[in-house]
Amino acid sequence: MNDADDDILASLHAAPGEVGLVEPRDWVTTEPFTFTNGQTIGGFTLRYETYGRPNAARDNAILVCHALSGDHHCAGIHSLNDRKPGWWNNLIGPGKALDTNKYFVLCANVIGGCQGSSGPASVNPATGRPFGITFPLVTIRDMVRAQKVWLDALGIPSLYAVIGGSMGGMQVLQWGIEFPGYAQRLIAMATTARESAQAIAFNEVGRQAIMQDPEWHHGDYAAGAGPRVGLAIARMMAHITYLSDASMDRKFGRRQVADRASAATAAALAPPLAAGPATFDVQFEVESYLRYQGRSFINRFDANSYLYITRALDQFDLAATHGSLDDAFRSVESDTLVVGFTSDWLFPPEQNRLIVEALLRAGKPASYAELATDLGHDSFLLESPQLYDLVRGFLGRPAVRLATP
Amino acid sequence: MSRPASKRTVDMQILADWVEPGSRVLDLGCGRGVLLETLVQSKNIYAVGVDLDFDKISACVRRGLNAYQGDMLAFMATFPDHHFDRVILSRTLEEVGHPADVIAEALRVARSVTVGFVNHGYWRNRRDALLRGRKPRNAVYTTEWFESRPANPVTIADFEHFCAAKGIAITRRAHLRGDWKTPCAALPNLLAGYALYDLTK
Repeated sequence: MNDADDDILASLHAAPGEVGLVEPRDWVTTEPFTFTNGQTIGGFTLRYETYGRPNAARDNAILVCHALSGDHHCAGIHSLNDRKPGWWNNLIGPGKALDTNKYFVLCANVIGGCQGSSGPASVNPATGRPFGITFPLVTIRDMVRAQKVWLDALGIPSLYAVIGGSMGGMQVLQWGIEFPGYAQRLIAMATTARESAQAIAFNEVGRQAIMQDPEWHHGDYAAGAGPRVGLAIARMMAHITYLSDASMDRKFGRRQVADRASAATAAALAPPLAAGPATFDVQFEVESYLRYQGRSFINRFDANSYLYITRALDQFDLAATHGSLDDAFRSVESDTLVVGFTSDWLFPPEQNRLIVEALLRAGKPASYAELATDLGHDSFLLESPQLYDLVRGFLGRPAVRLATP
Repeated sequence: MSRPASKRTVDMQILADWVEPGSRVLDLGCGRGVLLETLVQSKNIYAVGVDLDFDKISACVRRGLNAYQGDMLAFMATFPDHHFDRVILSRTLEEVGHPADVIAEALRVARSVTVGFVNHGYWRNRRDALLRGRKPRNAVYTTEWFESRPANPVTIADFEHFCAAKGIAITRRAHLRGDWKTPCAALPNLLAGYALYDLTK
């Protein structure tokens, strides 16, 4: 919200504590961008949103980094008819932990994404058709470097903080390594410095579901078409890894979908004379929920983007890239807070702890807190006053100094 | 007797005297970070605090400290020998499951280890046990046994025996009377309410 007019509009509709109406913007560059793998594109677009406003010194910017299936819309609403606000609306807003009265909060859709930023679904100007799998392979580092180009163009000389969970947390760590000192503070949640075999395995099942769908056509499909079944299955499977046994049991238990349950009761009362073929329609609520998740995902996500971003996650291994995790963090000049969640089995607490242990070994200011939750990986999105207090306390404190060498 | 708040901070002055300016200090069982914050401000140290409780870690973070939530033995195991100058265990030792392991590991990751504990050989504590037949309760330990955290009480005599048995060198000791302020010169195991030790291997 850089324009005064927009601010007036937003404040008219903003409930107390809410960001209110927001509008995404596109930032476009025609400067070539070279990816980590050496391939170059002749320019790119990042779609982004901002909340709050920059101060005179322009040193109050906080960058939010989104996760695999997230996007730039992390707070506020796009229209008064929106059913849901942005994905981190509980954290961002006036008086909230990321207080938009104090901080200028920004979030961009990553490069390789499909919510308005350049990615495999974008049109290749050389061919006039979508890039598909001719788009360069994207890494977490590329996502960060592309955002740095954008922030430079916006005239943001430094970041007060970078914050993100899951893949967003990976970007946070990469910010600290790639641009030492640019961000004063790093907040990484439910993340890892190295994608584990289990996490790669889940991503691979998702990719196979997409690539084995006959509609994938090696990534060459028309907008709105493509491997919708495969993408939905990939999303259903991945969604399970974001939850936990306990949270699914609490939310769904073994409850059956209403019409199914009554049909089953009717069948029990009056058994049919001749059994027909078995049907495997939705029986349990959890099935119905997952199918809904899959269906709604295919309407907003590009299958090729899913391949690219999961591959970026799988490639992420700071220890291998830099020799060791300690060496990876040697250049870091930021103060770092890592938050793990006890029930997160995708990026479990141990993997979050390793980050802080390595930072502390390297003599860097770093803290680790672990919240007891039963919501699984998605716990970082939890409405938790304890988590808000932690983030607020970390943002509000004076910067911690480095160890004497 | 002093009020609890002042008693809780009474070993701070001695610790501040022992801690070298600019050194690397690890505080095990750092609580809300009151001690470490004081040491950071007065001695300009690089400090890390470890505790098990989220809200305590959150308080440390708010205070501007490096804090780590987790098991102290597992945490220390990730550091090379003598990474820190000093490990502090201020009223922590009697609550850990394996005190000998904690001291041994602390002596590995730091050049010196400072231990502060309530002397359960102090005569009032003995009196409580002998005459009242009850767990000692005082201005600092105010709770009934069933409201208390598991504790493994230690006396000055126990601790000195432990150091001798394990070949741990005691480089400094401070024994304080029942007011936790006045130095205690004679019969510390009977007359000292609080003890501080500086250890090396």
